[in-house]
Parts: sequence; C-alpha cells; structure tokens
Amino acid sequence: MRGFLRRLAGHLTRGLVMIWVVVTFTFFLIRLMPGDPVQVQYEKLIAQGMSPDQAASATAVTYGFVPHGPVWKQYLEYLSGLIRLDLGVSVDSQGVAVADRVFGAMPWTVLLVLSGILVSFLVGVVLGVVAALKRSTAVGHSLSIAGSLLHGVPPFVIAIVLAAVFTRRYRWFPSGGQYNGDEVAPGFYYDFIGDVAYHAFLPAAAFAIASYGGWLLAMRSSVASVLGDDFLLAAELRGLTRMTRFRYLARNAILPLFTVLAISFGLVFGGSIFIERIFNYPGLGMLLFASIGARDFSMMSGAFLMITAAVIVANILADLLYTFIDPRVRRQA
Amino acid sequence: MRLSVRQRFWRGVWVALKRRPSRILGVIIMALFVFMAIAGPWFYPDRLPYNVDNMYAPISWDHPLSTDFEGVDVLALVITGTRGVLLVAVAAGLVTMLVGTAAGLYAGYRRGAADSVLMRIADFALTIPGFPLLIVLTTAMNFGAWWKMALVLGLIGWGGLARAVRSQTLSLRERGFIEAARGLGLPTRHIVTKELLPNVAPFIATNLLMAVTGYIYAQVGLYFLGVLPLDTSNWGVMLNAAVFQSGALISPDALPYLLAPLGAILLLTLGVVLIVDALEEIFNPRLREG
Repeated sequence: MRGFLRRLAGHLTRGLVMIWVVVTFTFFLIRLMPGDPVQVQYEKLIAQGMSPDQAASATAVTYGFVPHGPVWKQYLEYLSGLIRLDLGVSVDSQGVAVADRVFGAMPWTVLLVLSGILVSFLVGVVLGVVAALKRSTAVGHSLSIAGSLLHGVPPFVIAIVLAAVFTRRYRWFPSGGQYNGDEVAPGFYYDFIGDVAYHAFLPAAAFAIASYGGWLLAMRSSVASVLGDDFLLAAELRGLTRMTRFRYLARNAILPLFTVLAISFGLVFGGSIFIERIFNYPGLGMLLFASIGARDFSMMSGAFLMITAAVIVANILADLLYTFIDPRVRRQA
Repeated sequence: MRLSVRQRFWRGVWVALKRRPSRILGVIIMALFVFMAIAGPWFYPDRLPYNVDNMYAPISWDHPLSTDFEGVDVLALVITGTRGVLLVAVAAGLVTMLVGTAAGLYAGYRRGAADSVLMRIADFALTIPGFPLLIVLTTAMNFGAWWKMALVLGLIGWGGLARAVRSQTLSLRERGFIEAARGLGLPTRHIVTKELLPNVAPFIATNLLMAVTGYIYAQVGLYFLGVLPLDTSNWGVMLNAAVFQSGALISPDALPYLLAPLGAILLLTLGVVLIVDALEEIFNPRLREG
C-alpha cells in the first residue's frame, strides 16, 4: 500500500509539472502572439470610452492578467487565477466564464471517448486473439490487414463516411447535438438517457472503429509472443483443459496492452476535435475548434488546458490500473 | 556463390515481396504516390482551368472523377494536391528521425542523468495531445511556409521514436558484440555509428514510414478543419469544401468530389500498411510464418 501511495504521489507530481509547463506555454503563446490580442482588447476598450484603469481591469478579467507591468507579474497573476480554477472570461461572448463552458463541455467528450475506447478495446482484444490463433490462415491474415488499414486511416475519414451515410443519406441518426432539448429535459430518467445514447452513438462508433485496429494488432503480437512461452506447453502437458490454458494465455497477453492504453488517450482526445466537428457534437474538441475560429484566446487556452489535463489524468489512471492488474509491478511498487 | 551484405539484403526484400503478392501491390501504390508528388504538377498548368457552367460534371473521359463546385477537374486536384503535403511530411519525418534517434541512442547508451532528463522530455512530448497543440499553434504561427510546418510537426512527434530507440539501445549495449567493441577500446563514435545504429536502423526505417504517413494526415486534417488558409490545393482543402461548404454530403452529384480525396487517403494507407508488413518480415525474419 505504501508503495502504491508513493507511486501515486510520483504520478501526481509529474502530472502537475506537465500542467504547469502547458500553462506557461499557453500564457506566453497568447502574450507573444502577433498582433497581441491582450493589447488589442485593452486599446479597444479605451477607444470605447473606458478609463485606462477600467480597461485594464476588464482585460484582466478576460485573460486572467493585466496587460501592463512586468511579464513575470502578469504570469504570477495568471497562475494564481488558475489555482482558483479561474480560467478567465470568454473574449467572444462577453461575461461567459471560460471555466463554466469548459467544465460543461468536458463530460460529453469524456462520454464519447470512454465509450469509444471501451468498445474498441473489447472488440480489438477478442479479434486480436482470433487473428493470432489463426495467423497462418486466410481469416487471420485478412483480420490483420483490415485491422492495420483501419488503424492507419485517420479518424476523420471514418467519421466523414459514417456521417455521410447514417445522418445524411439515411437519416437514421441525428446530425448534431448532445440530446434533443425540445423533447427531453436533462435528468436521470429513461427517455433522456436514451436520447443521449442515440445522439452519442455515431460519434462514439467513429472513435471505436478508428481505434479497434490498434488493439487488434497489439493483442495479436502479444498473444503470438506468449504462445511460444514454456508455461503454456507445461500446462498442455499437465493435461489442463483448453479453457484453462486459454485463461493463462489471455491473462498474460493482455498485460502489455494496458501500457498502450495510456498512450492512446492522447490520440483519442486529439481525434475528438474532428469527430465532434463532423458530428456537430458540442464537446471539448468542438469548443477548442470554435474558439480558434472566433479568435477567442482565453477560451482556447482554457479548452486546450482541459484537454491536456484530461489526457494526463487518464494516463495516470491507466498506469495505476496496470499496477493493480500486474502482480509483478504491484509487488515492486 | 558468396553474396555481399547488400546483395543479401535485396534478395531478402525480393523473397519477402514474392511471399505475398499484396506486398508488391503496396510497392506499386507507394511508387504511384511518389510519382504523383514529383511529376504530378508538371502535367497541369499552375492555375487549373475552371468552368462554372460545368460543376459536378458527370463522369467522363475528360473528367474521370467528375468536377468540383467551380468545374475544376477532381482528378487534377487530387494529383496536384499531393506534392505540397508529401514534401512537408517527408521533411517532418526526417526531423523526427534525427531528433528521435539521436535522443534515443544518447539516452540508451549513456544512461544516467542525461537518460532520465531526455526520457522525461520524451514522455512529455508523448503525453501532450499533438493535434490540439497543432491547431492551437496555428493561431500564433504562420504555417504558410512549408519548412515551419515541417519543423513543428517533426518536433511534436519525436517522443515515441526516442523511447523505442532507447529501449533497443539498452538491450543491445549489454550484448556480446558491443561489450567486445568496448573491450577493444574502440571510440564511442565508432560503437554508436557502426555497431549500434545498423542494428536499430530497420526499426527507424519502419517508424519513419509511419511517421510520414501520420504527418500527411495531420496536415490534411488541419486543412480539412479549415484552421489553415485554404488558398492552396490539397486533399484537406478538398475535404473541407466537400463536407462543410458545398454540401457534398447531401447532393449525390457531388459524391465523387467527396470520395476522391477519401479514396486517395485510403489507397495511401493501404500502400503503407502493405509495405510495413513487408518491412517487418525483411528486418525480422523470425516473424516468417512456416
């Protein structure tokens, strides 16, 4: 248990350092941006008849720091705002707190990403075992090729095809939104959950189709390498049943996949920009995309920060899960 | 007959290709794309002819893949759109290869403090979601210059290669031939470039191919989202216009305009997958199935 806590503490420290680096990056990105948006807003407010003091504090509310004074002071102000989870105010729609929008969009993206990863993991692992056991037959070979092809195709291609076929050609699924606000009100009851699932189905399916190939390939090579191990031969010689041997095989082969799981979160969250854009699904990716189009830099850095934080947290969870599952790492830790 | 190392390598390539004809198809597809990138723009004028009266023309010999919303030939758009994207992707792939290999070899061979620092940075580069970072950067940087785009792409993607090269190096450096080289007092430069590098090279080659494909798709994705100026012509610009502007998702006449860039991406992916399949066997004969 102490080992586990120490590992957790190490993860959290590294995670915080990474978030700090990202925060510093976005701060200087906005500060050093050509045309200096902070200065532009400040001057615009003065032109609208505000006094310099008023304009400075209004700009400070938007970006989390005052446009004047030494850079380090601005930086510290920005950081202290972040610690209080104050991400500033949207530039584009005045008066809307970035944190509200970002935390509001977050659960929807997590819903898509988690359901997509879960489904693709299950499907990929099962097909990967089949592909490995039948690897010298046509079935195994075509499974691997199909897996590599879908793994290689960028997710937006899959999303475009799904959107074109199932929301436009055949209108089986809605062409956007998280739920139909005219028909159901948010709440914990059957109709609402059903409607959310109906709206999330295609985007989540796009995630799943785009990533199951990776799991298939990883599982196939993992099973193939475990198949050669002596303990399986020993199990066979001891006369253990097929089922038992399969359990031995699966438990050992699936372990390396959890390290891949940690890396895949970054990719999947990155893909959410495309998938949410194509399916008009208002999540974090859509928010980031829209804020870039509108040059809403406070919203942009908030959304980017939240995506990064989500990936870091997901990485930590995946690693802890791995510690939990693999007895060797558990004992070492 | 004794064969030189090089001859033996090419014979291995040929054997691997012959084992599965699909791999030859992969080489043909790849050659086609490289040819399109190099020679494609020579066949067409700088400004492709357009004809507003002839938009979404039916498929014919003149327009084998129909025309777009301005009456420009879609096939011409697909072909001329290859070069820019491919050039940037190859340049970015080289950046990734240089940085990733250097960092991985150094960290794995030297170990110690440099190793942990480099690998922390590599982990960082791996964790940061690359595509969101890229579109955030488009707001501040002018990606119109091809080399800037290549540099940024290359520097975002080196983490995975560095990690992989490092772990290979770590296992190689304990092997007999490296210890022998060290025991003989050969200079480090010799050990790294003549003993280590050739053994990691196959791995880097496969990785380079995947990286280049990834960078092609990253660019196509950026143009598709419309966060880069749409004044050039490439597959991403085509997809952007087809999906978000001209309503090609709805109108059946415009379907070829949507399908052409998608088809190009699928074909390229197929080529890469088949070639990677061949490369794995060439470099790792143990994978050969009986």
